[in-house]
Formats: sequence, C-alpha cells, structure tokens
Amino acid sequence: MTHPAHTHHGQAHGTPADPAGPANLLVTTDLVFRRTTGGAEGGGAKEGGAEGASAAAIFELRVPAVALSAGASLAVRGPSGSGKSTFLALLSGELLPAEGSVRVVLDGGAETGRTQKGKTHELGALSDGARRAYRARHVGQVFQTFELVASLDLLENVLLPFRLHPALVLDGAARARAAELVARVGLRGKERRTIDRLSHGERQRVAIARALVARPSIVLADEPTGNLDPALKKEIAALLLEEVRAAGAALVVATHDESILGSFDRVLAIGGAS
Amino acid sequence: MSALRHAAFLALASLRHAWKRSALLVVVLGLSLGLPVALSTLLETASRDMRARAAVAPLVLGAKGSESDLVFGALFFATRAPDNLAMRDLARVETRDADRDPTETRTRGPLAFAVPIALGATARKTPVVGTTLDYFDRRALAPAEGQFFATISDCVVGAGAARALGLAPGDKLFTDPESLSNLAGVFPLELRVTGVLPATGTPDDGVIFVDLPTMWTIRGLGHRHDDPTQATTPGALMAKDGANAIASEALKIERSATEAPAPDFHFHGSIDAFPIDAALVFPRDAKAQAILLGRFTGKDEALQLVRPDLFVERVLDRIFGVGRVLGAVALATTALVALVVATAFALSIRLRADELALMKRLGASRARVAAFLAVEAMMLLSAAVAVAAVVAATAPLFADAVLRAASGV
Repeated sequence: MTHPAHTHHGQAHGTPADPAGPANLLVTTDLVFRRTTGGAEGGGAKEGGAEGASAAAIFELRVPAVALSAGASLAVRGPSGSGKSTFLALLSGELLPAEGSVRVVLDGGAETGRTQKGKTHELGALSDGARRAYRARHVGQVFQTFELVASLDLLENVLLPFRLHPALVLDGAARARAAELVARVGLRGKERRTIDRLSHGERQRVAIARALVARPSIVLADEPTGNLDPALKKEIAALLLEEVRAAGAALVVATHDESILGSFDRVLAIGGAS
Repeated sequence: MSALRHAAFLALASLRHAWKRSALLVVVLGLSLGLPVALSTLLETASRDMRARAAVAPLVLGAKGSESDLVFGALFFATRAPDNLAMRDLARVETRDADRDPTETRTRGPLAFAVPIALGATARKTPVVGTTLDYFDRRALAPAEGQFFATISDCVVGAGAARALGLAPGDKLFTDPESLSNLAGVFPLELRVTGVLPATGTPDDGVIFVDLPTMWTIRGLGHRHDDPTQATTPGALMAKDGANAIASEALKIERSATEAPAPDFHFHGSIDAFPIDAALVFPRDAKAQAILLGRFTGKDEALQLVRPDLFVERVLDRIFGVGRVLGAVALATTALVALVVATAFALSIRLRADELALMKRLGASRARVAAFLAVEAMMLLSAAVAVAAVVAATAPLFADAVLRAASGV
C-alpha cells in the first residue's frame, strides 16, 4: 500500500516550492516512510504513534520534495489512513523516514545535542534528546483531539510546554506571551477555567494558543477543524492562519476538509487525493 | 531545580484534580503504615503506665482468689475483689515479727504499714474509692483545689473525674443506687466535694476518693437518722425496751450531705469486721517484705499477699506476646496495602497514558516524565507518612483502653 504525494498551486513535484523563497527556508523533505503492522518497522524508526496501516500490510508514504519557509502555509490533504498524520510526525521528528530525510534549519536557541545556529540538520542524524529539544523549541503542535490536560486550567495548559523542557524558560515574558495569546484567541477572562468548562471551540483555541506560546518556527496542526461544526471550522482555520502568520511561523495542516483548503498557500495531496 | 519545581507543580495539579483518589490512597497507605507503629507505641505507653502504677506499693493484700482482680482493683481501681478482707486483717501485716526475733522488733517497729482500699461504689458512673489519708501521703498527693475529706460524705475528686463531671470544691453529687429494681438495696448518699486532686496521669485521676466511714455508709453499714424516741414522724417508734428502741420503717434515714460534722452518724457492728477490698502494704524493709510474703503462703491461708511488680510483668509478657502477633499481622497488612496502593498508582498512570504521551510529543524527555510521576508518588507517600505520624502520635491516648482491656473491664 503506497501513498505518493504531489503538490498543487503551481508547483508540481520536486524541488523546494515555497512562495517565501529559499532565504527563509525552514524545512525540506524528500522521504519515504514505511511501516508494517505487528510492531516490526518496515524501515522508518518510530518514536511516537502515527496514523495506522491496515493489518499485515506494509504502509508506505512517499513525499518527493517539500520545502517550507517562514510565513508559508501548507495543507496536507488525503483520506483517512493516507499518512497525513504520519507526515506531520515525520516533520516533528517523532518518526524518522526509511529513506531520504527531513532537514531543518535551526536558529539557535537552547537546543541540546550537537545542533548549531543557522546550520541545516538532518532530523535522523540528531540524538533523541536533540530531536525532543527541536520539537519543544521549534515546533508548535495542534492535535486533532485537542490533547489538553484536564488537571490544569486554561492558562496553565497554554503554558504547559514551558514546564516540559529546559530549553523553554517559564518567566515573566513567557507568562505575558501566554496572556497575550489567550486574549488574541478570544478567551480573555477565562484563564482560570478548567478544561471541562470549555466548549469544543474554546478548547481548540486553547490548543492553538499552546502551539504558539513558545514562538515556534513551524506549527503542525492535525485535523484542527475535524471535530467542529461547519461555522466553527472556518473560524478556527482563519484564526490558526492569522495567528501563525502573526507569529511569523510556517504552518502545515493535515486535513480532509475541502472547505478550508483555499486559505493555504499550497496543498500537498497524499494517498491518492487529487 | 526548575525541572523539579515544574514536576511538583504538575504532580500537585494532578493529585488535586483526582483528589478523591489521592485522599483514599493517602488514608489507606497512612493507616497501614501508622498502625504497626501505633501498636508498638501503644504497648510501650501502656506498659510504662502499668509498671509505674505497680511501683506505687511493693505489696498488695487481699482475699485469696484472683491475683488479677486484686492488683487491678487495689492499684487501678478497675475491678472489685471479693470483699473477704476485713479491717482486722490489716493487723496481720502491721504486727511485729515477735515470734522470730523479739529483740529486733522492739527497736524497729511493725513489719509494714497498710493502707486500706474499699471499692464497689460509683457516683455518676465514676468509681468511688474508700481509703485513708495515708494513701495520699504515700502518693505524695495534696488537693490542687480545696482540701482533703474531713468527715462522712466528704469526697476528693481526681483531676480527670472533676473535669469530666464538671466538679469543683463545694459541689455535691449523689452516689449511684446499687440497683433501681432492688427496693431493699442501698439508697444513694449525697457526697460533698471538698477538694480536687492535681492531674497525675494515673488511675487516681479518674476516681472519687472518700474515707472508709463514707464508703461503709454508701454500702449501708452506717447511717444517720432521728432518735426514734424523739421522732416526730408518727409511728416511727414501734417499741421501747429500756435503753433500746425499736424503730419502724417510717423513721427517716438521712442520706444528704451536711456541712457540719454528723455526730448522729453511727455504724452497726464492730469496725474491725467492716469490709475492705484490699490493702496497699509498705514493708519496713526487704527483710520485712520477705517475712510477710512467707506468712501468706499457707495452704489454708484465706488471704494473699501479692507483689504487683511481678504480676504486672507477667501480664505484660502476655500482652506483648499478643502484641508481637498483632505487629506481625499489621506488618503483613502494610506490605499488602503498599502493594495494592502501588498497583492502584500504576493503574492511574496507565489511565493517564494519553497525558504522558502528550508530554513526550511536546518535547518532554523520559526523565522529565519519570520525575513528574516520581514527585507525584513522593507527594502521596509524604502525605501518607504524615497520616501515619498522626495515627502513631495519638496511640498513647488509648493506653488507658489497653489497661482496661488487660484488667478485663
């Protein structure tokens, strides 16, 4: 079961295709990922979960070439099980490709491992600790099921990344940034509410604020509108694009929601989507 | 340090969020940790109290029978020995050893000094103990408020009893009737509180002391009534035969306390034959003690002289034997509970697998996630240890209950 990918909006296959240009290049990929069911890896190293494959079959995802620059937005479309979430996990370093690579340009910060400012690093060549640092410092993630922590209130959920990795320091600036984001996503005054007292739309807004709080270079959003009603879908998609652009980050969204595709710079179709 | 602070923050939030589960784990673990310690502390306190009390008197005299009833009655006022002891029996320990060494006894006085103890009455459910002022001399006790009893129906109240019953010098209280259904029984006697003893942490705190005439009056052996020949109550005098007057049931028996001494209080019969339950015996010296112990070993002897220290050691041996078994059971229970709590904690971690996976996806290292769980476990354990400490600290408060259990009351 092979899932090829191709890009639309003027750039077909191959080389970096990013309106923002190579000067702001953040990520380039050219990879093949394979996985079999039953626990054995078909080539790619696995660090976390990803969208599943059918029983006793080899799942293969081919992404010829994708380049992503600061401020760019990319929608990854395809049917369920086509590998959209897997692609996001490859970009975050949770999964590693069997062939090819995911290369990232790091801007310094407090990375662990042997990364250097301004240099291009292949995620597969980084240590586990360095990949976690890359994820904490450079990647903001919005999950399909929000993945908020029930024991923390709204504001503490937004601040959660700062409590999880030493590369991020929870100081006054971080708190100010969190407060600003909470206000920007329209939740001012609800900072101390527990998660169970928030609506679906509010929870997704919290997830967006959390993804942006550490000023990531790239934001990965997995079906961010999947659980929302039609009116709310467009609102959340617009909010996500607006906030990511305001933060100067690149955005990659996995979605099978056709109604929001028009908002993105480019669309990457995988798994037989056209 | 920052990592620990963040781990503590997240752990506390998690424990607070599931506070019912947290509280249950803390209480169950705390009790299971605290109970073995509490048991040990309780037994230590009880044994210390018992040994201290046994040291009040070197010997205890009483009617032959249960050694336990005698010691717990005479020293702990807990049980009442059969009152086969009479006032005249005290002479048997207070006499000189003239038969064996007439020369020595002339210069050294009696073999021992005896303090009588009479039990068997209560006032407002509190034991009333009849004794003499010598008891307080031997215990080096003087009232913290008021003064000692001076006449019939006076009483001195232990600190604990005074607090429990709300008594102070000048207050009055009635003794409890023997039986409400026994019309021929002894009527209550009104007692007047003349003093309150200081707290001693001993059985003295929990009783009401009266002198022996008062105790005999409570038991119906002494009373006060009008002169039948002068009685104004119609029909009080049934017959008069010279100096003797025969009174009818219409003669009024006075049972209330009076401020003034009661010269018309009188006892029927010889005081020597009046009953007591036990006597604390203070031998002159070790030799006198040995002589006295030898005196009460005869087969046909109606009395017994007991060394309370040896008796208490035998009781403690039994208690600690049971305590060791209980301790082993408690330790096994603790181990089992710890296993159950650990399993419950492990299960709660599995239930939060999504939350832990999220932490890793957001970049947390395995060490950071492990630190979060370890801090949460340490918080639970610390709270459980605090509960255990409270349980262990309150154990000595129940030492009295152990004494009661040991004495069979």
